[in-house]
Amino acid sequence: MKGLEAILYHNGFAMAAVGVTIVFTALVSLSVIISQLHRVLFVWDNRKSYINKALRLFSAPKPHESEPVVKYFDNIYESARQFNLLIRATGEPFSLPELIGKAETRGIAHAHSTVSHLIAAGLIAADGRGYFRWNREAYEQLLRQEPK
Amino acid sequence: MEMFLDFFANTGFGLADYRNFIMIGIGVVFIYLGIAKHYEPLLLVPIGFGILLGNVPVFKGLGLSIYEPNSVLHYLYFGVTKGIYPPLVFMGIGAMTDFSTLLARPVLMLLGAAAQTGIFITFLGALALGFAPNEAASIGIIGGADGPTAIFLTAKLAQELIGPIAVAAYSYMALVPVIQPPIMRLLTTRNERLIRMDEPRTVTKREKMIFPIIAVLLCCFIAPAALPLLGLLFLGNLLKEAVVTERLAQAARTSVIDTVTILLGMTVGASTQADVFLTGKSIGIFALGAVSFGIATAAGLVFAKIMNLFLKTRINPLLGGAGVSAVPDSARVVQMVGQAEDPENFLLMHAMAPNISGVIGSAVGAGILWSFMVG
Repeated sequence: MKGLEAILYHNGFAMAAVGVTIVFTALVSLSVIISQLHRVLFVWDNRKSYINKALRLFSAPKPHESEPVVKYFDNIYESARQFNLLIRATGEPFSLPELIGKAETRGIAHAHSTVSHLIAAGLIAADGRGYFRWNREAYEQLLRQEPK
Repeated sequence: MEMFLDFFANTGFGLADYRNFIMIGIGVVFIYLGIAKHYEPLLLVPIGFGILLGNVPVFKGLGLSIYEPNSVLHYLYFGVTKGIYPPLVFMGIGAMTDFSTLLARPVLMLLGAAAQTGIFITFLGALALGFAPNEAASIGIIGGADGPTAIFLTAKLAQELIGPIAVAAYSYMALVPVIQPPIMRLLTTRNERLIRMDEPRTVTKREKMIFPIIAVLLCCFIAPAALPLLGLLFLGNLLKEAVVTERLAQAARTSVIDTVTILLGMTVGASTQADVFLTGKSIGIFALGAVSFGIATAAGLVFAKIMNLFLKTRINPLLGGAGVSAVPDSARVVQMVGQAEDPENFLLMHAMAPNISGVIGSAVGAGILWSFMVG
């Protein structure tokens, strides 16, 4: 038996089609898996941070909108006014040791921690060249939020 | 005088016929190609010498011929007929191969799959020419351009064809630099051959260690009959990448593969005795083998061009020609053809990816054909 008849008799077309399909399936699957391998390894290497992120998603409560912007400092408005005046008098830009020194000279209590809180609240901002500036926008915004 | 004539009648000169001399001529050509032309010398020299050994006419019954059960050659041939040598060769190949380029650009693996189309088209061609399905499957695998795989499958399906199929497979592997370039130039434009490939990303050692484990499990779950070949291929590769088993990897890629290659080549050569080799079937096998190899190369090239229709960054379609698993010859041919157009275009590293996936693909293809025939 020869020719098309032989191929049909031995089910050749089906075997060839299935054979090609299986070869492609094997290599395509392998190719897809190994293309993701380096990503999987990256996730595995950073698994702790991913787990923490996931835990935070499920467990950490969202802050209430009514909470103050800087909850850890209950007299920020008064301190901000004092430092606003001080910085207007001494000029900008300024270095932090210079500002703290002048604040202590003028009798402002807890100058160190107050400056630290003002930085955290964004009122004192770095100018990118080693000095700091008073952020007037943030200051005015803060005063607008002050309870009457 | 009578004793002398009796003795003469039992010598090689007395027993020889013209077919022995034809085969001895072929053996000499193989040795010449291996030594003088450097065409796959590690294979062609042992095979060529084996052809000489197999075609020295011997007196039947003395236990000299490879086909006599009590002969030394027969015992050595056992590793071929039982499919032992090819997986050991694969282990050595695994211990030599760096899969980095494949891991860096897995999409190139598809080219290795596409080239295996040649196996199945030739399978149909062999059926159409009147070969039995098991013989057709063994002939088709020549298109994979993978000698050990071709021998392994033929040993399982059509032992009487091992000689012609092995010789055809290794001949075409040796002739890769002659067969492939015209097909590559025919099926690609100059502009396509000029395409430069992006630098592949760096692959970590850990990826290289995990790859053989994933690959062997996945491929063997999909095509379990590929287990003897792929199992040892990936074992060899894991030995290489694991670092702590460097001694074993060193043995696999040197002493083991070298010993097995000598035995495999020599016994396959010796199995080509004139009376079993010079038949109409062998001519058919050689013709179909050439067709199979050509189709495999063309399928890879065409598939690369099709991929370019969908890829954001185009690939050089010459890489498709490396989808046949003649490692690393077809990758070298891609480099050679690419550099003929642009001497500063370095494609060798990129061509190794489809080339290696061709090894995996042809082993999977062999496994599938084996399971079809025994199923």
